Amino acid sequence: MGLELAPYQAPSGFLLPSIHSWSAFYTYQPNPRTFLTQSQDWTSLLLAYARFRRLWLLALSDADAAAAGLGEGGKGTEWAEALHNPRLRPPRTISRKILLLVIEQLIASDRAIPDPPKQTSSVVLCWRSVPEWAGVLHEWALKTGQTNTILTLFEISNPAVESELSGMPEVLLRRAIAVLARTGKAQVIEGGEGGGVRFFP
Amino acid sequence: MHRLGGAGIGGLQRQTQASQAYKPLSSAISRSQVDGLQQQLSTFREALTRFAKEHRNDIRRDPEFRQQFQRMCAAIGVDPLAGPRKGGWWAELIGYGDWTYELAIQIVEICVNTRDMNGGLIELGEVLRVVRRLRALGGENESEAVSEEDIVRSVHTLSVLGAGYQVVTVGSRKMLRSVPQELDTDQAAVLEVAQEAGGQVNEGALVLRKKWTPERARTALDNMLMRDGLCWIDDQAEEGIVYWVPSVMLWADE
Repeated sequence: MGLELAPYQAPSGFLLPSIHSWSAFYTYQPNPRTFLTQSQDWTSLLLAYARFRRLWLLALSDADAAAAGLGEGGKGTEWAEALHNPRLRPPRTISRKILLLVIEQLIASDRAIPDPPKQTSSVVLCWRSVPEWAGVLHEWALKTGQTNTILTLFEISNPAVESELSGMPEVLLRRAIAVLARTGKAQVIEGGEGGGVRFFP
Repeated sequence: MHRLGGAGIGGLQRQTQASQAYKPLSSAISRSQVDGLQQQLSTFREALTRFAKEHRNDIRRDPEFRQQFQRMCAAIGVDPLAGPRKGGWWAELIGYGDWTYELAIQIVEICVNTRDMNGGLIELGEVLRVVRRLRALGGENESEAVSEEDIVRSVHTLSVLGAGYQVVTVGSRKMLRSVPQELDTDQAAVLEVAQEAGGQVNEGALVLRKKWTPERARTALDNMLMRDGLCWIDDQAEEGIVYWVPSVMLWADE
């Protein structure tokens, strides 16, 4: 066995860091100093991967799904490249304990929003911070000439022309709108069907 | 029987007279020796200075040349970093001291940044790889290459800090230790076994290879895991619990 660990380009095109090819990365490290670096590496890997593939949701069950190698198109498989390494002998999968602690850290650092609220086994990932998303949202409204009209949340996350906001989960969208509302760049309009929002230049 | 200086008072007086007569002579000799030495030294310094000035760029750029220069200085008992001024004799001549200190700072950064991951032990080849990558990012060209000898020399300048930076040989490799604790013989043995097995080691391997008792192997591995942070645990291997040593791996990240 060689001693050199190299980055690996996954089939999706994402470049996995060399530590992903190291067997011990997948077991929870009981030494707190060691775990500090391990959890940091997992956190940045998961955020980078989510951003690369535009994945919004991460759940504790994704680790099991990755290990079980669920079929194409299944919800578990889109995370498989990151959470699992089939090239190691035997293949390794991120332990549930690491994933749980990493998700908790992501929530604590405003990089994930529990969805549904008040639990930590399923989250929406903020691979851009909420304030960053607010900026993207406002710019999109200006560029597409949709200021001063009322838009539903569905219209924003399912625009006719594909945008950076396409597919954005409602909980994240609402937080970004709230940031804009605080600075007078948007107004939330309560109403049926989830309500709407009006953007100001 | 002939006695040197003779016996009795007369003999003692003769001895005193003789040694007094020798005194001026001996001080004259040593004076001329010192003068000669000083002249030699100044000639030598002139030559070395001329050499250093002429080859200033080679010394800075070419690791091979730098090593030869270092060897030459060592052979004649001159430390290019020593001297009355900060940075030594050569600092103002060729910027050699600054260069070494800059490298030392870079090495400290690498050690501090990776300490949680590897427990403060890192292979010299890995340090060299990261230094070269950092310098490439900084836009320095390849002619400013750094060699392993340069790393060792820079680490030596760090020893005055007393922070425990030291190059140690483990098995067949040179490693840089950046924590004050000494490596004990059991730790060194574990590292050696890991080096030969692609970076992994377990209780069974130590019992087999080092003829240790299982208790000794368990204690050594547990200390390295929990106390020192020198290895990581892996519970997904076929053979049960396995320990991996990050410091013997080369991490080829960009």
